[in-house]
Amino acid sequence: MLLKKLIKKSMPYSKLSTINTKIIIHMNDVWASYDAKNYSLKGITLSIERGTNYAIVGKSGSGKSTLLKLINGMMNPSKGQIKVDYQTPNMNKKQFRKKMSKIGYIPQSLGLVKNISVLENVLIGALPRIGRLNSLLKNFPKYEIEEAKKIIKLVGLKGKENRKTYTLSGGEKRRVAIARALMQKPVLLLADEIVSELDQVTAKEIMDLIADAQKRLNLTAVMVHHDMKLALEYANRVAVIKEGQKILEIGIDGEKIIDFQSGNISQQEIMELYNNESEK
Amino acid sequence: MNPKNNLIIALVIAGIIVMSYNIDANPVEFVDGLPNLAIVVKEMTDVEPDLFVTAFWSMLETIEMAFIGTVVGVVIALPLSLLAARNLNNKLIYVPLRGILAAARTFPSILWAILFVIMVGLGPFAGVLAIIMYTIGFIAKLQYESIEAVDSDPVDAVNSIGVSKWQLIRHVVIPESAPHLISQILYMFDYNVRQTSILGLVGAGGIGFYIINYIKFFEYGKAAVFMLVVLITVLIIDFVSVKIRDKYIVKAQKGMKVEV
Repeated sequence: MLLKKLIKKSMPYSKLSTINTKIIIHMNDVWASYDAKNYSLKGITLSIERGTNYAIVGKSGSGKSTLLKLINGMMNPSKGQIKVDYQTPNMNKKQFRKKMSKIGYIPQSLGLVKNISVLENVLIGALPRIGRLNSLLKNFPKYEIEEAKKIIKLVGLKGKENRKTYTLSGGEKRRVAIARALMQKPVLLLADEIVSELDQVTAKEIMDLIADAQKRLNLTAVMVHHDMKLALEYANRVAVIKEGQKILEIGIDGEKIIDFQSGNISQQEIMELYNNESEK
Repeated sequence: MNPKNNLIIALVIAGIIVMSYNIDANPVEFVDGLPNLAIVVKEMTDVEPDLFVTAFWSMLETIEMAFIGTVVGVVIALPLSLLAARNLNNKLIYVPLRGILAAARTFPSILWAILFVIMVGLGPFAGVLAIIMYTIGFIAKLQYESIEAVDSDPVDAVNSIGVSKWQLIRHVVIPESAPHLISQILYMFDYNVRQTSILGLVGAGGIGFYIINYIKFFEYGKAAVFMLVVLITVLIIDFVSVKIRDKYIVKAQKGMKVEV
């Protein structure tokens, strides 16, 4: 018993969060391209503070998904610097791979393993913490299984632990993906259009779930949306991306919205601006 | 139908005519031979029911051989398929391994059987070894191909958690390619039963030994008993494997369609 407690204590939520600096993600004049010809990001500069619920909004093809891949090191910029917790993201670098275990990334496709159960999918989030032999034998420690069950309950899938993932609905699958990310004990949560294909009620449930987890665990969340309304409702900060460039960045404090270039701005003005800009 | 397609069809037909001439394939001979077939069929209807017991036991031996061969072959093939998958390993490993697997597949199991008869002597054991060899070559190929075709979304997503390569294989690649494996094993067993049925031709055990000997001595009625047993067995295996497939595999495929 005592040993278990000790083990738990020796695995704090994050070693990273003990470093006390405000900025977790910094991008400076970042350019990115998939084919070395057309740039999907053209000179993005932004800073994200710890604990922020940051939304990136843009229409499809604006480069917002690329932005998440850059933060996660799954893609490297053609030009410019990115720092995530003082490190340059690169998934092939051993040092950054360690950091990736604390970055919960939920791609638009969710990336769940469909032929295994909900519980097994969620436990994947714990793999970086599990020893090599045990993880190959699928031999998870009891406290990790308990933790996974707790998280499954938290995301509202209690009783469905042993269901095969392919039998779940779209909303339920998103809950599994969130649970897997939370199982990583993340400091940073990246989600790519996680509610875009859902009906309004389910979308709200999922967003509430993430907002709740984000506050409770003091995570930094970077979420990509194409729906401005959703961003205004949940985020503290919103960056609008258009054709690979940041055209607007606003801060939200309750009812108050601040445009960092022109001062206060109303929600309606933002919506108008966004709709006009993206239709041009 | 455009001119290019017409040209291709014309070339194929011309090719078949030239090749038929080369290999001495003459439709007239086929027609002339029909009465001979009638004689054989007539003699075959003259079955000897006493032989059914012998046929049953030799069929059982055949199935046992095919079963052992399939299971052992699959067990050896699976780790090899992981090593032969291009998306998991580097060239130095998969290129030579693929060569070896291709060689195992190139020889039909009857050639392997001849080799093993020389090695371990006449009897079912040589047949089992032949079946194992062919199964390794075949299942490893099917399996590394389905590993290479695994959906990249979960692989990328889980890779972004920072897991090790073998964790990724164990927790994503294997579960994602497993549904194909069941259907491949069923197919392989089905195929191996038919293969084992003829391995007796070279003295490697199984029901084929009886069939070839009775045919050699023109005892078509006796051979017919054994062929009938093979036919019934293959039909039963086919029926059962379709049932298993429906139950487990079709479900998994539906799962893929539901995937959002």
